[in-house]
Amino acid sequence: MRLAGRITLSLAAASLLLTGSARAETVVKIGAALSLTGPAAAYGAQQKAGILAAVDEINKSGQLKGVKLEAVVEDDASTKEQGIAVFQRFINKDKVAAIIGPTLSNTATAADRLAQDAGVPVVAVSNTAPKGITDIGDYIWRVSLTEGQVIPGALKRLQGKLGFKKAGLLYGNDDAFTQAGYTVMKAATETMGLQVVGTQTFAKPDKDYTAQLTALLAAKPEILIVSALVENASGIVAQARQLGWQGPIFGGNGFNSPKLMANAGPAAEGVYVGTAWNKVSTDPANQAFLKAMAARKHEPDQFCAQSWTGVAVIAEAVKLSGKGGRDDVKAGFLKVKDLPTPLGHFSFLPNRDGNHEPALQVVKDGKFQIVP
Amino acid sequence: MWEQLSDFYLTYQSTFAYIGINALLAFSVYVSLSCGQLALGSAGFAAIGAYASALVTMKADLPFPVALAVGTLLPALVAVPLGLPVLRLKGIFLAIATIGFGEVVRLGLVNWEYVNGAQGIVAIPQKTSLWMIYLAVAVTLFVLWRLRGSKWGFALEAIREDEPAARTLGIPSTGYKLAMLVLGAALAGLAGALEAHFTFMVAPNGFGFSRVVDMLVYAVVGGAQGFWGPLAGAGFLTLLPELLRELAPLVGIEPGPLRMLVNGVVLLVVILFLPAGLMSLPRTLRERRAARRAAGAGGAAA
Amino acid sequence: MGQQVINGLFLGSIYALFALGYTLVFGVLDILNLAHAAVFMVATFVAVALVGHGLHILLALPLAVLFAGLLGLVLERVAFRPLRARTDSNISGLISSLAAATIIEAVALEIWGPNITRFPFGTLPEGPANQLQLFGGTVSRLQLTIIAVAVLLVLALTWLVKGTRLGREVRAVAESPRAARVLGVNVDRAIAAAFFISSALGGAAGVLYGLAFNSISPDMGRGVELKGLAVIILGGMGSMPGAVLAGFALGLTEVFVVASLGGSWRDAISFAGLFLILLVRPRGLMGAAVTREA
Repeated sequence: MRLAGRITLSLAAASLLLTGSARAETVVKIGAALSLTGPAAAYGAQQKAGILAAVDEINKSGQLKGVKLEAVVEDDASTKEQGIAVFQRFINKDKVAAIIGPTLSNTATAADRLAQDAGVPVVAVSNTAPKGITDIGDYIWRVSLTEGQVIPGALKRLQGKLGFKKAGLLYGNDDAFTQAGYTVMKAATETMGLQVVGTQTFAKPDKDYTAQLTALLAAKPEILIVSALVENASGIVAQARQLGWQGPIFGGNGFNSPKLMANAGPAAEGVYVGTAWNKVSTDPANQAFLKAMAARKHEPDQFCAQSWTGVAVIAEAVKLSGKGGRDDVKAGFLKVKDLPTPLGHFSFLPNRDGNHEPALQVVKDGKFQIVP
Repeated sequence: MWEQLSDFYLTYQSTFAYIGINALLAFSVYVSLSCGQLALGSAGFAAIGAYASALVTMKADLPFPVALAVGTLLPALVAVPLGLPVLRLKGIFLAIATIGFGEVVRLGLVNWEYVNGAQGIVAIPQKTSLWMIYLAVAVTLFVLWRLRGSKWGFALEAIREDEPAARTLGIPSTGYKLAMLVLGAALAGLAGALEAHFTFMVAPNGFGFSRVVDMLVYAVVGGAQGFWGPLAGAGFLTLLPELLRELAPLVGIEPGPLRMLVNGVVLLVVILFLPAGLMSLPRTLRERRAARRAAGAGGAAA
Repeated sequence: MGQQVINGLFLGSIYALFALGYTLVFGVLDILNLAHAAVFMVATFVAVALVGHGLHILLALPLAVLFAGLLGLVLERVAFRPLRARTDSNISGLISSLAAATIIEAVALEIWGPNITRFPFGTLPEGPANQLQLFGGTVSRLQLTIIAVAVLLVLALTWLVKGTRLGREVRAVAESPRAARVLGVNVDRAIAAAFFISSALGGAAGVLYGLAFNSISPDMGRGVELKGLAVIILGGMGSMPGAVLAGFALGLTEVFVVASLGGSWRDAISFAGLFLILLVRPRGLMGAAVTREA
């Protein structure tokens, strides 16, 4: 009888263990292909911080019952060669359920095709090129608003407030992001009937813009419209002020970074930025994001917010479809509607581009403030 | 088991492809180095080949072999009017002139609206297969091997060792140098065309100064003395980041700056201690062992 | 118009300073030192760190310059001296300097991260109160200071090279190391000195560049390094007055190209110009004829 009792006890213990492990979580792997070295390293670093924080917070909150998110981060060195290698690793070796990234649009136009062909959903969180991203196929989705979604509205609103008629345009012509931004800005000036008194270009490695600015200012614009990444933006703003320009400066998404104020200092006052992320939004999702980043002692910028949102959207897709496979995530994307995110209430457009309210900000007292 | 192999292949397929593409680019620098010319215009030639072939596919809608042919021949044609004046320059001046050429090509592409400037041409259908790349590499190796023991090979070596002396011996050095420049341009153009139809897109920022520096490094690290060198160098340096990617989590180090550091250290070690490149490693080790043995025998005898 | 001239002169002074170091090493060793831009960058970060710790910029600058010079000594010892005996020493030297540059940039990236940074506000007085109106344009006191420092350094260097024994030894080595050795010159020491001076100049250029544009990052040398190449070719490899003249010439040309044709043409014209110079007059404005003793 004692032997039977012992066997029963061990069987009972074993079955408890088994049910315990049956209740173990499924892991949904998200591959993050980021530029951690090379020219785009500054953005990759922000994206990494946002992704890791989001994964951590979502896991802690337990909102995905029984599902744990795991982020696998790899560096593509800002080159398409390694971007492709990283994507192939994620698809075939790590067998991720979804990919976030890559950082650069140029890399995306090369690597996303692999994911499309293999049936792995990709969430673009910083690609803003109008063509060649989501139109690759139905597995490619985008959270980052294109410049075309942000700038025209912001510029129009600004004109309503300031009433300018003549504009000087300045843009970086050797970068896909800033070049695309310029195309949008130019089209916006035409739609709005603005007179473009001058157009100048610079290259990413440039630090001196005085020649271009002097030429533009000589044509007497009423506003300077600039498409630049933050490294150039802070220098452009500082030098414009130094040359005596007190008028308004309008920048695209690239300006939306605390580094603008950090590097340009008082020169940044009065700079308007059309942006996809309203830092001072009181929306609870944004406040939670800011709090999480502050706890990790990291000052976020737009890239950070967009990456966090990318993870949030994937998590939501998993929740909506109930499962964590590749096609489940894709099916989930189709159902995402008005998801609260740091960027605002987010949905996908029919063409898989992102959709949420963009914002117009102005730099005042060293901080971004919303322009109503 | 089959699935594991297939996964392995798919994971590293692009790495293998790039080893081949980078080898072709390394060869393109190597052929000029073999006659003593530091011609660094290959990034520009690769850009011309890549864009020309992309335009043939996307705008003219012609079959892939035509695109490849255009991508190979157009840079070769450009190399002639470029080479005639430029090959008169010596050493570092030639290097700088050809670097300048590469930059002018890149800047031209950035400013050319027809090809979308910095955004480049996207959605190019993938027509390159691994076997095509390796066929090109094999053919190149064959050609170089045949050149080796031939009249051409001797002429090139003579020019490399001492050009004025070679000329007094009646070797038309300018002709040979130009031929090598044209061959190098063709190889670079072919590599560019193959790459364009492998990665679905081309953009100017893939053809800058750092790219041509990479090509030079592949050739030198592999060994610019023998014709296998560029392949060895390209192979090793293309694999290195992927190897480090595997190792990094095991050693607990972050990717990123580490990879850059290792690249630099490898290059420094090779150039200081293995000047004839990685290909000479077995020979150097053998020589060192022989020397040690001889010293030991001499010591014992004394 | 006057403003553009000021812009050009200012840009030119920075190019000139950068090119001076470059051309010094080329003149002496026939090697293109691609690590020059890396030293340029590191000196700036060192200066920023020193100022961040409370040092006045007038103290931080010479200290950073000294650091740069010492780094140059290390570079010479580790990356260049072992290669001197080789026949292809200019190619292997080029690659060795490239390796060193990569290592230095990787270390900088690890220590300081990829983001751009700047000198703390108030390092140098800025703002409208510190600006002058000159020839129809605005010049800041900072810009004038930089031009002045650049000119001073050029004069100091010229005195050093022409008027001191060390300078004569360096010039002898540049002419022919073998002959110099026969004449009793300590060739190793002369070359090391040349590297020290060259890197110190590069470091000075870096700190001034950092102060001028406040856009400091581990890859900040990239934009200047190719331009520096154009400057030393235009000026004549190995010629110091040539480098200075060419620096200013390039600065002014670039600014006027931008003003008349637009920014997109600027670099294309610089490189096309470089190309033409190489074809028509490879020795540049003031270079010696292109022969060299072994």
